[in-house]
Amino acid sequence: MQAAPTPDALETRDNLTFEAVLWALSRPGEPRALPDAGAGAILSALVDRECRAYADDPEIETLLRQSGASLVPLELADHVFAGLTTDSDLARFMRVPVGDMLYPDQGATVIAPAQIGSGTALRLTGPGIETARDIRLGGLHPRLWEVRATLCRYPLGVEMLFVDGAQILALPRSTQVEGI
Amino acid sequence: MAYVATRGGERAIDQAERLYRSLMGDIDAQRVAEIEAALPLLIDRLMGESSLYAPELAALALAQSGGDLYEAILLMRAWRTTQPRLQVAEPVQQGQTFTHRRISAAFKDIPGGQILGPTLDYSHRLLETGVLGGAPYRPDPVEPAARPAPARHPSLAEWQKAQGLVHDVQTEPVDKDKIPDLTREPLLFPAKRAHSLQSLARADTGGVLALGYSAMRGYGNAHPTVNELRLSEADLRVRHPRGTVFSAGRVRTSQAEVVTTKGKGALQVGFCATFGWNEMKCIAGATLDLNAPGAAKNSPVNEEFFLYHTEPVEASGFCIHFKLPHYVTFQSALDNLRAAKAKAEAPAKEEADA
Amino acid sequence: MSLTGLTRPWKDFSYGFLDASAKRELRRKMLKAVAVPGCQMPYASREVPIARGWGTGGLQVTCTLLNPGHTVKVIDQGADDSVNAASIRRFLTRVSGARSTWDTLEASLIQSRHRVPEEILREDQILILQVPNPEPLRPVEPNMSVARQMHADADYGRMWLQLYEQIVRSGRVMFGAAYPSLVHGRYVMTPSPIPRWDVPKLNMARHLTILSAGREKRLYAVPPYTRVEPLVFDDVPYKVEEHGHLTCYRSGLKGFFMNEIPQEDGGALHEVSDSHLGIKAIRQGDGEDVATGDTWYTNGEMGQ
Repeated sequence: MQAAPTPDALETRDNLTFEAVLWALSRPGEPRALPDAGAGAILSALVDRECRAYADDPEIETLLRQSGASLVPLELADHVFAGLTTDSDLARFMRVPVGDMLYPDQGATVIAPAQIGSGTALRLTGPGIETARDIRLGGLHPRLWEVRATLCRYPLGVEMLFVDGAQILALPRSTQVEGI
Repeated sequence: MAYVATRGGERAIDQAERLYRSLMGDIDAQRVAEIEAALPLLIDRLMGESSLYAPELAALALAQSGGDLYEAILLMRAWRTTQPRLQVAEPVQQGQTFTHRRISAAFKDIPGGQILGPTLDYSHRLLETGVLGGAPYRPDPVEPAARPAPARHPSLAEWQKAQGLVHDVQTEPVDKDKIPDLTREPLLFPAKRAHSLQSLARADTGGVLALGYSAMRGYGNAHPTVNELRLSEADLRVRHPRGTVFSAGRVRTSQAEVVTTKGKGALQVGFCATFGWNEMKCIAGATLDLNAPGAAKNSPVNEEFFLYHTEPVEASGFCIHFKLPHYVTFQSALDNLRAAKAKAEAPAKEEADA
Repeated sequence: MSLTGLTRPWKDFSYGFLDASAKRELRRKMLKAVAVPGCQMPYASREVPIARGWGTGGLQVTCTLLNPGHTVKVIDQGADDSVNAASIRRFLTRVSGARSTWDTLEASLIQSRHRVPEEILREDQILILQVPNPEPLRPVEPNMSVARQMHADADYGRMWLQLYEQIVRSGRVMFGAAYPSLVHGRYVMTPSPIPRWDVPKLNMARHLTILSAGREKRLYAVPPYTRVEPLVFDDVPYKVEEHGHLTCYRSGLKGFFMNEIPQEDGGALHEVSDSHLGIKAIRQGDGEDVATGDTWYTNGEMGQ
């Protein structure tokens, strides 16, 4: 082995993106800065040919194809890039895999656009939150939280990564969400 | 800082490594080439257990480790994990491999004939001590057969399937890019068929032999008969970006099928294949595979049991890790032991005082 | 597409040793581990250039997290200069160019075998524990498939029975290190063979802990502010090692987890197990300006 290598631009971005995602998921509801705006950086840090993915956006779909991931129907996907705004978005969200009791890790990661800091007021409790954390999230279907509660029957469930420009806010399945 | 100077882990490990490396001395390309030429079967075994077909690297690994096979496997595996996956080669069909040796113990003769090929099976195991006295040992030259054996031989199981002796299991064709890959995903149970075979292919020869032997001695349900044992060279066929499939070279492979007549109406088959020529591992591995269905949990022929315990890097690593300091764990247990002892002695003391 | 598109320029090894695909898998699994605290997530676990059982699980996690901005601390049994800690630290800096430190306060990533440092970890620090055996049920159920089903059913009856039997037989719970603990009220995990002294440090902590077993190919996590409760009966309280009253013969520190050093006269001396905490105390004694952080234990008692 020779001298310590330096990370290239892609390695640097993927590493910092993951650092932000890991922080955000470990501290649900706490917004964190991503090195780049949009879901593309998250895709690059997490998804490759070992993944089964779904996207409702043709641009993301192109990126998925380049990553080598298999494009699959939503109910088979481990990574779902989709909006959660319209009625049809919500109907689709209901079919996202939640894993099973033997392998809860097979519950999907859903990456969706949202407005962080404005919109519906929510109170979060659970791991990563000392007592309770109040947040505002906008641009989402009003019934999303009800549907999420039916999907996240701990330890089953889905992880939700909300992206707003270069900000991320994450909700693991272990977080309890209440409207306030 | 006297506190630090009394320890000095960095210098100690540095010098300890130098001591070990001094056992082998300088390594140059010539030494590596000699190892590769002199020890083809050790190279084969190493390549199989490393799941990396690279004779030159295997020889280098042996040179660096001084012949410690487990160290050599780890060197190869650690190198392998850093390599990008460029393509998955086309599947290899048994009947399409360039076959050097192919025998069956189940029949006196088989379609295509018994081809002995290279083997020491019938040799007398005598040391050629004359070499040490200065007389080089030159093996007698091979005399070509009057009628050369065909390069390719059909699979015996195909004939048995046609006879109705072996169930013709209909498998769904899987796109080669979708074949589960043990090195990219965890082994879970019940194991995917691909994972079981891949795990056996890279298993420790000695470990597979020990557990396979236990099955042969009666800790399994089925006694194996070698249906077919084959040493061959398989074409590594890959697809050019233009779409044409071409051979990028050949790799040596071993395969064994063992069968048992126990079972309802048909022969049960166990299979094992690996990189390189390593008959013993394939027979023992196929025996484990044969015995696996329905085996009792925690028996040596239970799939979880034998696949976990024949993983050479894991087994050897865990074994040698016991050399690491464990004094925190030990201290914690000692604390319990003393407290329990004090508690046990306390009532006795009270009685004596009374 | 051309043939060159199928190949890559030669590199001795990737940044952080692991290739991009291995790192992505670890990232995906770390996220799931954080999402389901204490649940063992299977991963492929690549071979790395140190032997299995020598910290390869922790190493893969650290290699994935590392960037040149990080400062990494590696300890084995509490000591930075232990031979294997030195070897791992050297590897990590060699493949990443990251800085290394012995000081818990300076570290952003702490890879440890069998200890949690005595100084309270901050939210910007990640503790990576090396795990030899990730399965707390192994003593009662060696078969991994069966054990997985037991976790799925939250069927920990045999675990409780084992505790009960120990109390009946020995008058106390005999688990030493690796004390089984319930995480977020759902999964029983082994906190890795850290002493009982260290387990309360994981409960409702500010920092994230990732536990990784390379040989057994499982990783799991304790996110910040997550309940970690050692399994105990209501009437038999959890007991940490009785080290609170011991004094380190080198540094004079008192009230921390100690190593016992047997002496020829039949007695024993004690030295503080968190070796750099001891070094800092010695240096402070010599009048050097060295900062020591707040510690979880004060005068041998765990703070609230």
